[in-house]
Amino acid sequence: MTACGEDFLIKAPLDSINTENFFETEQDAIYAINGAYQPLQWPKLYNMRMWTTDIMAGNSIVGAGGGDDGRETQDLANFVTTTDNPGVLDLFRGPAPGILRSNVVIENVPGMDIDEDLKERIIGEAKFLRAHYYFIMVRFFGDVPLILEPQEPGDDLRPSRTNKEEVYQQIIADLTDAKTSLPVKSEYSDADQGRATRGAAAGLLAKVYLARGEWQKVVDLADEVATLGYELNDNYGDNFQVSTENSKESLFEVQYVGGAGEGFWDNENQASWLSTFTGPRNSNMVAGGWGWNQPTEEFVNSYEDGDLRKDVTVLYEGGPDFDGMQYDPAYSVTGYNLRKFLVTKSIADAYDNSPLNFPVLRYADVLLMKAEALNELGQTADAETPLNAVRDRAGLPDIESGLSKEDFRAKVLHERRMELAFEGQRWFDIIRVEDGQWGLDFLHSIGRVNASEKHLLLPIPQKEIDANPNLEQNTGY
Amino acid sequence: MKKMWNCTGGENSCARKRIFRIMKLSLFFVTVLTFQLSAVTGWSQNEKLNLKMENSSITEVIHSIEAQTGLSFFYQNEQLKSVAPVSVEAEGETVTEVLTGMLANTDLDFRIIDKHVVIFPAGEKKSELPLSQQDELPVRGKVVDSDGNPVPGVTVQIKGTQTGTITDMDGNYSLQVPDDAATLIFSFIGMQTRQVMLDGQTEVDVTMKEAVLGLDEVIVVGYGTQQKRDLTGSVSSVSDDEIASLAVPSVSDALQGKAAGVQVISTGAPGSDATIRIRGLGTINDNNPLLVIDGVPTKSGLNLLNKDNIKSIQILKDASATAIYGSRGANGVVIITTKRGTSGQSNINVRYSYSTQEATNNLDMVNASQFATMHNEMMANAGREQNPAFSDPASLGVGTDWQDQLFSIAPMHDMSVSYSGGSEKTSYYVSGSILDQEGIVMNTGFKRFNLQFNSDSKVFDKVKFGNSLTLTHDKKYSGAYDVGSTLRALPTQPVYNEDGTYAGPVGRPEWVGDIRNPVGSASVIDNTTKGYNVIGSVFAEIDILDGLKFKSTGGLEANFWYDRSWSPAYDWEPTPEPDSYLYQSSNRSITWLWDNILTYKKTFNSVHDLTVMLGTSAQENRFDFMNGSIKEFASDKTQQLDSGNDEQEIGGNASEWSLMSYMGRVNYDFSDKYLVTATVRRDGSSRFGSGNKWGIFPSGSVAWRISEENFFNNVDFVDDLKLRAGIGYTGNQEIGNYAFASNLSIIKYNFNNSVVPAVVPIVMPNPIVQWESQEQINIGFDATFLSQRLNITVDAYQKNTSDMLVPMSVPISTGYSDIYVPSINAGEMENRGIELSVGSRNIEGDFTWDTDFNISYNENKVTSLNDSVPMATGNLGFDFQPSRIAEGHAVNEFYGYVSDGLFQNQQEVENHAVQIPGNDPYSRTSAGDIRYRDLNSDGVINDADRTYLGNPSPDLIFSMNNKFTWRGFDLSVFLQGVKGNEILNANRIWSEGMAVAVNQTTATLDRWQQEGDMTDMPRAVFNDPNKNTRASDRWIEDGSYLRIKNIVFGYNLPGRWIERAGMQQARVYFSGANIYTFTNYDGVDPEVGANGIDNGLYPVTRTLSLGVNITF
Repeated sequence: MTACGEDFLIKAPLDSINTENFFETEQDAIYAINGAYQPLQWPKLYNMRMWTTDIMAGNSIVGAGGGDDGRETQDLANFVTTTDNPGVLDLFRGPAPGILRSNVVIENVPGMDIDEDLKERIIGEAKFLRAHYYFIMVRFFGDVPLILEPQEPGDDLRPSRTNKEEVYQQIIADLTDAKTSLPVKSEYSDADQGRATRGAAAGLLAKVYLARGEWQKVVDLADEVATLGYELNDNYGDNFQVSTENSKESLFEVQYVGGAGEGFWDNENQASWLSTFTGPRNSNMVAGGWGWNQPTEEFVNSYEDGDLRKDVTVLYEGGPDFDGMQYDPAYSVTGYNLRKFLVTKSIADAYDNSPLNFPVLRYADVLLMKAEALNELGQTADAETPLNAVRDRAGLPDIESGLSKEDFRAKVLHERRMELAFEGQRWFDIIRVEDGQWGLDFLHSIGRVNASEKHLLLPIPQKEIDANPNLEQNTGY
Repeated sequence: MKKMWNCTGGENSCARKRIFRIMKLSLFFVTVLTFQLSAVTGWSQNEKLNLKMENSSITEVIHSIEAQTGLSFFYQNEQLKSVAPVSVEAEGETVTEVLTGMLANTDLDFRIIDKHVVIFPAGEKKSELPLSQQDELPVRGKVVDSDGNPVPGVTVQIKGTQTGTITDMDGNYSLQVPDDAATLIFSFIGMQTRQVMLDGQTEVDVTMKEAVLGLDEVIVVGYGTQQKRDLTGSVSSVSDDEIASLAVPSVSDALQGKAAGVQVISTGAPGSDATIRIRGLGTINDNNPLLVIDGVPTKSGLNLLNKDNIKSIQILKDASATAIYGSRGANGVVIITTKRGTSGQSNINVRYSYSTQEATNNLDMVNASQFATMHNEMMANAGREQNPAFSDPASLGVGTDWQDQLFSIAPMHDMSVSYSGGSEKTSYYVSGSILDQEGIVMNTGFKRFNLQFNSDSKVFDKVKFGNSLTLTHDKKYSGAYDVGSTLRALPTQPVYNEDGTYAGPVGRPEWVGDIRNPVGSASVIDNTTKGYNVIGSVFAEIDILDGLKFKSTGGLEANFWYDRSWSPAYDWEPTPEPDSYLYQSSNRSITWLWDNILTYKKTFNSVHDLTVMLGTSAQENRFDFMNGSIKEFASDKTQQLDSGNDEQEIGGNASEWSLMSYMGRVNYDFSDKYLVTATVRRDGSSRFGSGNKWGIFPSGSVAWRISEENFFNNVDFVDDLKLRAGIGYTGNQEIGNYAFASNLSIIKYNFNNSVVPAVVPIVMPNPIVQWESQEQINIGFDATFLSQRLNITVDAYQKNTSDMLVPMSVPISTGYSDIYVPSINAGEMENRGIELSVGSRNIEGDFTWDTDFNISYNENKVTSLNDSVPMATGNLGFDFQPSRIAEGHAVNEFYGYVSDGLFQNQQEVENHAVQIPGNDPYSRTSAGDIRYRDLNSDGVINDADRTYLGNPSPDLIFSMNNKFTWRGFDLSVFLQGVKGNEILNANRIWSEGMAVAVNQTTATLDRWQQEGDMTDMPRAVFNDPNKNTRASDRWIEDGSYLRIKNIVFGYNLPGRWIERAGMQQARVYFSGANIYTFTNYDGVDPEVGANGIDNGLYPVTRTLSLGVNITF
């Protein structure tokens, strides 16, 4: 009777899968790795917090509805961030679940009895994603707890912060593994475009080494990427078009899909926020149009004459029409709005269904990384080639030859600002170059005078310290 | 008096329930009360017997006589056992002759009354006074109980004499009464004695009511019954006549104040169940007691029951009583028993009442011109432009009284019809009822249709089958009413525009507010919930051996409910709704139950009474729901999901639980003096993780009936005194169905514009989660004095909850949600309290006065939350959480700032700790704002200056009922109250905030306006720069109240009036609920829910009703 009773008493949830009987089929493994990608889509990461770092980096202001709208981003951009800033909390809450989901795959998939190639690929994807998430965290927060296995009550849930050097070594190890086990882009079917590739792993690893100043490794990896078939799109604008997503220039994109009912808010979003959030307010140019992320005059004036990227990136008075509509500077506080990620109403007919992917890593970035690294290695002349490739596509002349290392560095960093504008890259350059001093000087030069050394790292959210008192706060907060 | 009477009158009469049990005692009474019996018929004592028995016990002889004659014997076991075996030989002798011979050498005597033979100690036989044959009137009549069933064996005595008779099987009596006799006394054990003046009547029919406090009252204790005298635990009992005439629609409301230690908090919303809390809050989680309806543990609310069908309600309070319900016993158990039929008597009962309901109170709000004046001041103080429409406030007049618009007096009809009866083998009780209650809020209401069908059938000699079946259909309906919005809507806004459409605020929200027309929302939107509920059980009971019974019960509970919400498109401000909208959901919950109970009852050596119960129980539930919604209908006439055109959404889910249990109970009683009860239950629940499925919940209790000790014999005024003590362990398994599961959720990602499924962990798993545990110690005594005229019960308890589920603090770095966190068994809580119940028959006789009184004290404290971080609770929106659960405090104590009067001038502001600083005079603390105490004296008023401000749970709950009867009249006045709790009057945060354009109470007329104004009411200033509306003691009020809860005044029409209509009983009554409340609370009503927050609640209603109750 007891045995009968035991069966009688087993009731598993009917609306979710039990960890006990999952991880059996190939499909299970695929679904699990799909889940590890998903936090990338969140507003906590690439749907909002990552691109709003351009506001903090001095390219733009929040704009939006004025007043308290986007207050947390305003505080970040004014460098009055406090430990309860919701945007900062998001940057903790975004990557951590991605790391857990990657860890779940890395722990469970190796023991599965499935196709070995698929298994290797999935573990490679997981390692790429885990490294990606940790790379985000370590740059924003410095030392963070390094957790490499799924946890349960009973485990040490309150670890101290791991030295960032150790975190970086893990990131490098993961990406190195991923680079060998992931297929190249062309080996994926159409349906799988958007998954992590060998090129994405190599490119991201190059970026990690760039952040660490390991220049030769940057150059080597950039060359490796070049052998994998990546090249610049002919048109800069094709990097931000629905019709040309996952293009030959794209190493990695966060995938979005339109269509009503695919989710928009919170963690369910399958659709991109960008067009809606950055569309000019009250303009009727796009579905939505909340006027976020308005480029500053200083930024817009930084375009060299003839830079084709300006018309793609910014809406300005006298610029080309968008979807047959003329821009009015009254739409914006600065007189400018962001254009790069807008989609026409024929593509997204409602605020919640823009399908436009978000670029995380483009070949142009790889070329600029290579240029910067070669320059730092003293090979300034060699560095001109990759830099000019990017300028050429932007309709700009080659840079003058024979620049000093310092002048070339300034050129390449400027080029990065214009080429990668509003793609969430500028802040990482600000904190990276000369250990942040270059970035602070820049911020002060454009009037962001509150910025100080402590702001190069964000505070650990107070909520997290409350839950884990073993975490020490970053200096100055 | 002893209890060990045996009924041997054949299986049938034994099975006939209470009436016979009471009767045998009554017959014994006949003898001790010592008056002459004058049975009308006496044929059976002349029946001839043929009998030959040698060396047999008297019991065996009696059995044989019964077998031959159909006579029923009544005797006391103990006395017969002391008699030596006898030999009897009879050939054609009468029963009288045989019995006389048989008992000749004993100290027993006998009497034959009708078909009943009573054997009693000879010493108690008294002289028989012959009845005078002169000047006598024949008086006859019928005695029935409150259900209209005849009561046999009632002694009918002529007052002041020792002359009388007893009623026969049909409750009839007849008696020769001397001319000058004024009064008859009707008495019967277990029932209240009645005296009736004759006034020359020759036909006197009497209805007798059960005496509630009798020690013989049968108490349902879970998988069995016990007599009250044998109880060792703490159990309160509420009988049907205590709730019958109350002007409340639901059983839960009717329970209010009826039992010590049981707090019932009503709400006025039609169809909603009251909240029941037994002995305080035992957990920060689910505090609802387990409900058992006719043996079926259920989650269905009490609301589906028709209170006319309820026979009794027992409330098991201490752990020695509740431990038999194991992992579900921790919050107490409410056991409901519905009425059943009685063999041999059929009757029909019809009851109807008509009631009117109204709000107990309205808030005094300012009128239009007062509001405009205040609003102008509010804008001026904030340096903002005033509303031009308010430039001449006086011209605006009174304006709209939104409370008048939303609330009205509402009727309620309550009708039920039942018939019951039965033959020797089968009995039945069938009832149908309709309740139609309109709510005092426009377009709200509740309708309920209820059928009850209970039957018992003796299929074979030793096999009995029976069933209980409750069917209800109910319908709750309402518009999108919002009591809070109604209080806040501006008096300057009309209800309707000139064209008849609903008016709305048009213009700047800071001038006209943004509240949607409360009358419009309550009118055009249609929310209904229709419920279909079945609670049924079928049982078979087999007598296996003498004293050994087996009962198997199969139960089914099926609940179906359908929600529907329809909103047409409308265009009134401030938020026009361009699309019509329909939402429908369908929910189904099915629970089955199978209980098997073996009961063995035996007396050894006359002094050892043993009852053993062993049982198993299995229960399983599945809940399914589906819902769908759609927008944009071409026509409002096609309100079907198929007819909508846009934003179609669909949802659905299911969940399951199961419970498997083994239980046992031993009652041992030595010599009626020493009582021991031990219970144990082993529960296995699907809600616990695999390593943790089974829990054991034991209890033990003892009682000592001191009054049975020899040394107590001389204490005449004490009938019974019993000391009790018990300890037990129970659990609370209401932890959600799947708290243990390490789940993976199915979500979505996409690659290259195609959506793909993804499977991810979201909530930290907690596979070791288990039930919350509770240990409870109870000591108490029951005392009965002065021939049962005074009953006192006192209990004291200590409840310690451990393993209380508290939210786990999950670091974000784990990757699991820090918002959706698992609960872990890490909290602890304590409750201790004292309960006193007193029942007193103050005056007996023609005029009677009874008083029942109870009072209980409870003290609650959270002793551990695992983390010492307090939990913020009581969300009022916008992250405004004014309550806390914190270690060392009672649950949900209010938390906030302490106010300290008003600043009279800017200098006082400067001299005080910094509140809201600034250079802008319009956005900083200014004169007329509230000064808050700087509790930590750091010169800044901030979060650290908050403290605990009050406890929403009362220290004392009490009630008193006084009941008077005189002839056919009865009057009861029921008072009920609580003391020592605080209420957070959240309505005032808006309606006394004077910070935005919402209506204000008249208390704000006393606001600060200039230096020197001596008032507590701060200045009116738009946007409230000083945050005068912050959570503070400003909103905390004393929630104590004393309420005239119910008054019932009834009249039973005299038998001679109603007989011709074929009625046995006819009663008309007037009844009122919530008649008047004594309280210092400023809100609408102090009964505001367990969390003590008064925020736009549906008001408790005052109900007056007129009813008639007829038995045929």
